Formats: sequence, structure tokens, C-alpha cells
Amino acid sequence: MEVIRAPVREIDVDALAEQVFQESINILGGLRKIIEYKNLTWLPSLAEAAYAIVMKEEMMKTHKEIAMDLGLTPQTVQNILRADAKEVEKFIKGEIEKVDEHKAGGIAKLAYERVKKEGRITIRERELEVLGVDWAIRVLTRLKGADFPLNKQQLLEKLRGVAIKDKPFEEIAEKMKFPVNSPADVLHQIKQSID
Amino acid sequence: MEKKYSELGELREKAPKLFGVPTGTKLDNMFWKIEFEGKPIKKPLGGLPHLSVINLTGIPDSGKSLLAEQFALHQASEGYKVLFVTVESPANFLYTSLRAKSRYLNLDFDEISKNIVVIDASENAELREDPRALMDTMAYAIKEKRTNNVVIDSITGLYEHKEMMARQIVRQFFNFLKKWRQTAILVSQKRSAQGADTAEAAGGLAVAHIVDGSIVMDKKLIESKWEMSTYRLPIGSVLRTIRIDGCRLTGHDTRTWVFDITEGGTIEIISPLEEYIKRGDRNGSD
Repeated sequence: MEVIRAPVREIDVDALAEQVFQESINILGGLRKIIEYKNLTWLPSLAEAAYAIVMKEEMMKTHKEIAMDLGLTPQTVQNILRADAKEVEKFIKGEIEKVDEHKAGGIAKLAYERVKKEGRITIRERELEVLGVDWAIRVLTRLKGADFPLNKQQLLEKLRGVAIKDKPFEEIAEKMKFPVNSPADVLHQIKQSID
Repeated sequence: MEKKYSELGELREKAPKLFGVPTGTKLDNMFWKIEFEGKPIKKPLGGLPHLSVINLTGIPDSGKSLLAEQFALHQASEGYKVLFVTVESPANFLYTSLRAKSRYLNLDFDEISKNIVVIDASENAELREDPRALMDTMAYAIKEKRTNNVVIDSITGLYEHKEMMARQIVRQFFNFLKKWRQTAILVSQKRSAQGADTAEAAGGLAVAHIVDGSIVMDKKLIESKWEMSTYRLPIGSVLRTIRIDGCRLTGHDTRTWVFDITEGGTIEIISPLEEYIKRGDRNGSD
């Protein structure tokens, strides 16, 4: 009979989602390969999928709850959660030419399984910083629980002090359209303004 | 924009199936369901309604903890995982009690102990005082151990010095147990001013109002010649009763039943009080 005598803290969703995100990059062949193939636009989707999978598996959240937390549509979350990881894996390996599944969802699922199985982190935060793709996770972490839509002032408060590719967010915000409707909208607009 | 409502038909897939989660006592036949075989037929549910959260209340020494432990033992002996949150009795005392009962019931305690995970909140103030900390810990246990059932003995212990918080705390645990799809027994204590035979307990009727159903356990000391003759029990003895006070999930027996606490500390439900009095023996049938 197992006895738990002290509180077990809720899982650190942010930390685990970051691990899954990093492992997803690894599955895709590493950051260099992503850059070489000009697939950097995948990163925001991967970040969202990493969170969605972790929320589903670790917090038993429903797809509607996840959709509300991440500011995605329930359909998008459902596509992520229902993605056939094996099919996506075949696609990544080039065994099939086309896949109808949600690619980021499938990759995040594979990554989650690896992280849980092996418990390893393969890409360090500073490596992500060097390659300039750490911002998506940082932004999503700050936006967790935000009540969208957000106006400019509200978003500035949430992302105060965040720098993206050495630009203060305050500077980036000047180029954005408000209100922002979801975390995905924020990521998309940031991506556009720094490219 | 996300739809904020569901049409009734859309809930069909989400609706839980109605079946019983056995306690190993006659209580299992006191819940029922209606099946249609040409005409409506009442059939025993075979246990507490699956995924129900049941309030088990009574005065001190009425047998609440014994019934809760018996439910845990029976479920564990059937191979189902049980999370037992002990708020009153330290885990080592609970262990002794469960082991003794399982021996009396001729159950394999080695197997049973693999299926019961205990959170000992009795000796940890944070678990008792901070519902969030306890729910996080329960979530960990439910997820890691894949439990099906939860016993909290007692829910009262989580708000005993702040009863004005009872409704809020019970609501949080009720929602938590629903979210994690557990069949649960919440043991709740009565205060001296509360009617012994009602569902009212510490915190008022908060527990009874929020949960899916209440079971009230009571005991009566035989003190007069009239009681001696009515119950055919010697003066100074105890008549124990149990009653399902209400259940919103399924039909149930509304009668008051007589039960005994056996020498092995288990609950043995005997017969409805009316039959018990009519027959005057302790072996009435149901």
C-alpha cells in the first residue's frame, strides 16, 4: 500500500512543454535543418502543439479547455490531439509524400512520448537563444491564462521585459494590429514583424 | 467562436453509463435502475452509481469510516484501484484497520494493498489546509496509479475550523472528482445540533446539496422499556440504522435499514427497520 505523506506539486506544464518543443525540433533533424529547409514558420505551431499535448496528457484537459487556454479553435486542438503520430513520422522520414494529419500535432506527440520515455532534454535554452527561436515559448508562457482579446496596453503588460531577437517587445508592438485575438495571433504578428 | 451550450442530443456520447460500483454490502441492491423489457422493470444497480460522489454522514461511532473502508477493500479486491485520502486517522492506523478487515472478510490483503494508494493528510497540515495542494496530490495519484475510486475520510477534516468555507471546498472537490471520473465517497461528520437521521452535516447542508447523493448512518441507544419491546433489544444495547437519503443519479430504496457492526469491524446490513420490528429477529431478509 503506497502512502503519499506530503503534497505533490502540479506538474510544471511550461517546463514540460518546453522539453516537448525542444524534442520536436530534434525530431525534425535539429534547428539547423529547419533553417536550411526554411521551415521556421513551423515553430509557433510546434509550440502550440507541445502545449496542447502536455495539457491533454498531464492535466487531462478537454480539447475545449485547451482551446480556451491557448487561444486556438477547438477544431485545431482536436486536429492536434487526433494527429496520427506514426503517419507523420513516416512523412518526416520521407517514406510517404503526403500526410493529411496535423503535422505539428503528430511531431509533438512523438516528442512527448520520447520525453516521457527517456526524460531527456537535448537542446539547451542558450542554444535556442543563439538560433533565435526561443521567443515563441517565452511569449506563450507569459500569455498563459490571459483573457483574450487583449488591447495593446494589456499585451504590453503581459510581455513587459521580453526581448525578441534583441528587439524590446514594446518596439515590436508598435507594428502590431490590436486587439490581438489569441496567442496564435500574437505569435503570427510577432513573426511577421521580426522577419 | 466556441459554442457555449450543448443541444441535449450532443451529450449522448458523453453521458456516463449507469451501472453499480459494488461496496460488498447489501447497500448495492438498494440502488436500482429501470430497464424496459416490454414494460418497465426495476433492477438492482449492484453498487453505488458509477462516477457518483456520495456523501456518507452520521454521528460519531455510527460506522461511516467502517463502510468507507469496506468499500475500498471490496473495490481493491476486485482489482480496481482506490485512492484513500485519510484526514482523520494516520496512514499506519488505517493500514492496520484495512488489514484486519480484509482478514475477517477472507480477502487477500497482499493483492488488495497493491490496489490502494493512500494520501495521508492527517499528519500534513498543508494537505489539510490547502485544497489546491491536496487536489494536485490527488491528481498525481489518480493519474499515476490510474485509480477508479476515491474515499475521503473525512471531507469535514478539510474545513473543520472554517465551516463557512464548506460549500466552496466541497464544490471544488466535487468538480475535481467529476473531472477525473472517479466514483467517490466523502465521509462527513455531524455536529451535535444536527439531526442524527438527516443528511445535514458540518457546514450545514452544503455537502448534501452539492454531491450526487447522501447515505445517513445512525445509532440509537435502547433506553426505555418501550424501545426494548419495540426493537426486542436489551436495555443499553445499540440499534444501528442506515438510509439512502437521496440520489440524483438513480432510483433507490428510501427505507431505513438496520445494520450490525461485526466483530471484525465490518458492516452487515440486516433488513428494513419495519420488517426488523415486525419479525423481531436479527436475521430478517431483504
